[in-house]
Amino acid sequence: MKRRTLLAGAAALRLVAVIRPASAQLREMRMVESGGKSGESIDVGYAAPFTAKTGIRLVRESPGNLGKLQAMIASGRITAASFELGSGTMVQARKLGLIEKLDWAAINPMPMFPEAKNEFGFGYQYFSTIMAWRKAAKAPQNWVDFFNTKDFPGKRAIPDYPAYAIAFALLSEGVPQDKLFPLDVDRGLKKLLSIRRDISVLWKAGAQAPQLLKDNEVQYAIAWSGRVVEEPDLAYSFNGGMADLSFICTVKGAPKAEQEAMNKLYYEMSVPENQAKAAGVIAYTGPSPALDPLLPKDKIGMFPTAKANKDVQWVQNAEWWAENGESANKKWEEFKLSL
Amino acid sequence: MAAILAERRHGFGFVTPLLVVMLAAFNLPILYMLALGFWSKQGGFTTEHYAALFDAPIYLRVLANTLRISVVATLVNVAIGYPLAYWMRGLSPRAQFIAVACVITPFWISILVRTYAWIVVLGNNGMVNRLLQWTGLTDAPVSFLYNELGVMIGMANVLLPFLVLPLFAAMLRIDDRLMQAAASMGAPPRTIFLKVFLPLTMPALASGALLVFILCLGFYVTPAILGGGKVPMISNLLDFLINQIPRWEQASAVSTILLVVTLLIFAAYRALDRKVGA
Amino acid sequence: MTDIRLEAISKHYGAFKAADNVDLAVAQGEFVTILGPSGSGKTTLLSLIAGLNQPSTGRILIGGRDVTGSSPQQRNVGLVFQSYALFPHMSVFDNVAFPLRVRKTPADALRRKVMAALELVQLHGLAGRRPAQLSGGQQQRVALARAFVFEPDILLLDEPLGALDRKLREELQVELKQLQRRLGVTTILVTHDQEEALSLSDRVMVLDRGQVQQIAAPQEAYLRPANRFVADFLGIANFVPLPGGREGVIRPERIRLAAAGGLPAQVVEAVYLGQIIRYHLTAEGRNFVAAAPFVGQPHAIGDTVSLTWVEADVWPVA
Ligand SMILES: Nc1ncnc2c1ncn2[C@@H]1O[C@H](COP(=O)(O)OP(=O)(O)OP(=O)(O)O)[C@@H](O)[C@H]1O
Ligand SMILES: [Mg+2]
Repeated sequence: MKRRTLLAGAAALRLVAVIRPASAQLREMRMVESGGKSGESIDVGYAAPFTAKTGIRLVRESPGNLGKLQAMIASGRITAASFELGSGTMVQARKLGLIEKLDWAAINPMPMFPEAKNEFGFGYQYFSTIMAWRKAAKAPQNWVDFFNTKDFPGKRAIPDYPAYAIAFALLSEGVPQDKLFPLDVDRGLKKLLSIRRDISVLWKAGAQAPQLLKDNEVQYAIAWSGRVVEEPDLAYSFNGGMADLSFICTVKGAPKAEQEAMNKLYYEMSVPENQAKAAGVIAYTGPSPALDPLLPKDKIGMFPTAKANKDVQWVQNAEWWAENGESANKKWEEFKLSL
Repeated sequence: MAAILAERRHGFGFVTPLLVVMLAAFNLPILYMLALGFWSKQGGFTTEHYAALFDAPIYLRVLANTLRISVVATLVNVAIGYPLAYWMRGLSPRAQFIAVACVITPFWISILVRTYAWIVVLGNNGMVNRLLQWTGLTDAPVSFLYNELGVMIGMANVLLPFLVLPLFAAMLRIDDRLMQAAASMGAPPRTIFLKVFLPLTMPALASGALLVFILCLGFYVTPAILGGGKVPMISNLLDFLINQIPRWEQASAVSTILLVVTLLIFAAYRALDRKVGA
Repeated sequence: MTDIRLEAISKHYGAFKAADNVDLAVAQGEFVTILGPSGSGKTTLLSLIAGLNQPSTGRILIGGRDVTGSSPQQRNVGLVFQSYALFPHMSVFDNVAFPLRVRKTPADALRRKVMAALELVQLHGLAGRRPAQLSGGQQQRVALARAFVFEPDILLLDEPLGALDRKLREELQVELKQLQRRLGVTTILVTHDQEEALSLSDRVMVLDRGQVQQIAAPQEAYLRPANRFVADFLGIANFVPLPGGREGVIRPERIRLAAAGGLPAQVVEAVYLGQIIRYHLTAEGRNFVAAAPFVGQPHAIGDTVSLTWVEADVWPVA
């Protein structure tokens, strides 16, 4: 009995040895990201050149959320070196000490937009929250039109995320883009409530918005840009849209070798040619100011960072949401109950 | 005899450590979660997370909404499931097999696929609405989805097997001769059903309904999609508290209240069951 | 009260005939027993009379009224099922009260009648129990009480005493007979127990494979069986050749064992049954059973004896 246990133990040790080769020779590295086309674009744009240069394979895992990251740190078993986080959740993760500070000198990236070069994360992917509508419906020019349900009749679908919905209501009330924050949540919700009869769906999954439009369940929607720009039946406008960033962050306590490898991956993510390849998979763009000329001419209007689009948008204030998200969410739940 | 007993105790002794480990492994996370609700950021015991709940009772209102939806969904399930099981009982064994297969199939289809399938069927441009408009029954599409009705339909579809299968099994076990006996004593069909058949299926009905109710409380995907996000449920709230802004303490307090409510309902069921059984 | 007539009743299950062209007339207040091997259609007949099942062909008349096709509720029949069919979710009291409640009997009368019925089957102490808390015999008695408590016109009993021990069974047989006489209720009993059949009934009906073999008074059927099947099924039969190639049946107690002068036979087995002793014998390659009073020195196995009988005691069978 004892003997068998010992043998089993020895076998287990050997197994561990196989899984974790000497840290000198890193063969693969894990990343938790949001999956789908976005994950594919990481493979095509960044993992491919990274693996070609270093011989390290990037294994993707999805989906991820803050709870999963927190559980990973709490359990002490760091199974992934990097984690994709939204701008707001990255601030939370930073406050909770779940992610490493980045060594930008070691990364030595090519030029990038300043908001993407965060102390704790690499803003690798811009995505916009914009208005979209069925081509058959009357086209709104701005958020005032979008919230004018009398002259622009039709059902609306809006995100079931306060951070992606409330600000647009304030824009329709005439609040200028640069004066949105601190956000007047009560005023925004009041505006939303005023059109509650026309709000048909609060969507949770990004794919819902285009589907609802195509099914004619709603005629207007607030949607994530990458989900609507390539739909032939739908029209969209970046005017007054919100640019936001997805970040890749290094997980707190990841092995040194993996952290160093991550720096090399971050560098690949800053190369505009690589970003252009990623944008070929999904209509979201990387943080390089030099990206526009590399993008296909006929599709330039689809991308969040194309000059014409970036100029008419405003950038999400993740810090404000990290501070006020919970109280705003309470009000959001209240709003939903009174719909 | 004594030897056998001793041996049995001995055999049990072998598995006891395993049982202890399993109990601990299954319950430790729950205990940890419960404890979290009383843990202050500075360390030490606190009731602030509960106090916060009662100060701004919106989370409790969501909980109440969840309970209400679950009760209605359970009743809808019973209203559909009981007659369905009753009808299946009267079928030939072959037809019963087919019926059971039909009831179980939803189990094998991903809940997400099933939920989206309802959109295809019940949407404004869906099959049902097109049929209704084609036959001239309505001129505008009927809103089946993105309201509580949609949530009910989706929940009934997902949860019906949990009610129908135990109920059907219980009904099959009822000896036909009991109903015949009642008939021979002059009872009309209504009396036979109310006094003989229904009471005999009551335990299965009650436990099936309880199961459905508890599953309803944890529903996530269906209310989010078929309810158009306008039917707030506690699980969506918990997702927010755990995954969007990690307020695990707050989530723990909400879950604890949910757990207590569920246990109270279960206790009420047990008390009722015992009273009926006595 | 009520008489029963079955006219050319058949019940088919596919090609199988559970009842095959059965004719039976039971007079008002009469006690008829149905006897037959397992699967011969006894329960089937009872369920047809009770209306739980409808005949494939034929008519059923109760009290002169054609009830073919009518529901059980319209027949006022008390029925004891072979499997008791007690309601498991009700107490003994509520089980017995069930038919009275259906008839909207007032509470005090209901209570009185239920307790009287339970007393009759000696269960008044167990009124509060559930069927699952009773022995098989107790359950049968509850079923019995439930069947007669509402004073039905007809009592149909499907082996109602089968699970009881001998003493209780004999007691209840007497009770049943008295009850039946007092209520004057037309009764059909199904039983496997021949003694029960012979002692209780005015007439017996022997069934085989759904077909009536004989309907007659018990002694008549015993001594003058209609055919070989009845002869064999009721009691023990000795078959003896008759002139003209026919066969006759003679009962064991009508065969005498003498020292000489009859058919020489050898004792194969001797079974002591209290007052009588039963001999199994062989003579001329045939088996015989003879019953003799247990007096004097019995014959031993291997003894040679001589069998004699009176010619009139031999009844010719087909
Ligand atoms: N619903 C049915 N379908 C097919 N066959 C049936 C059905 N009910 C009874 N039978 C058949 O009819 C025959 C008579 O059955 P029945 O129950 O009347 O027998 P029984 O004489 O009461 O036997 P036992 O002494 O074993 O109770 C049996 O062969 C039985 O298998
Ligand atoms: Mg039978």
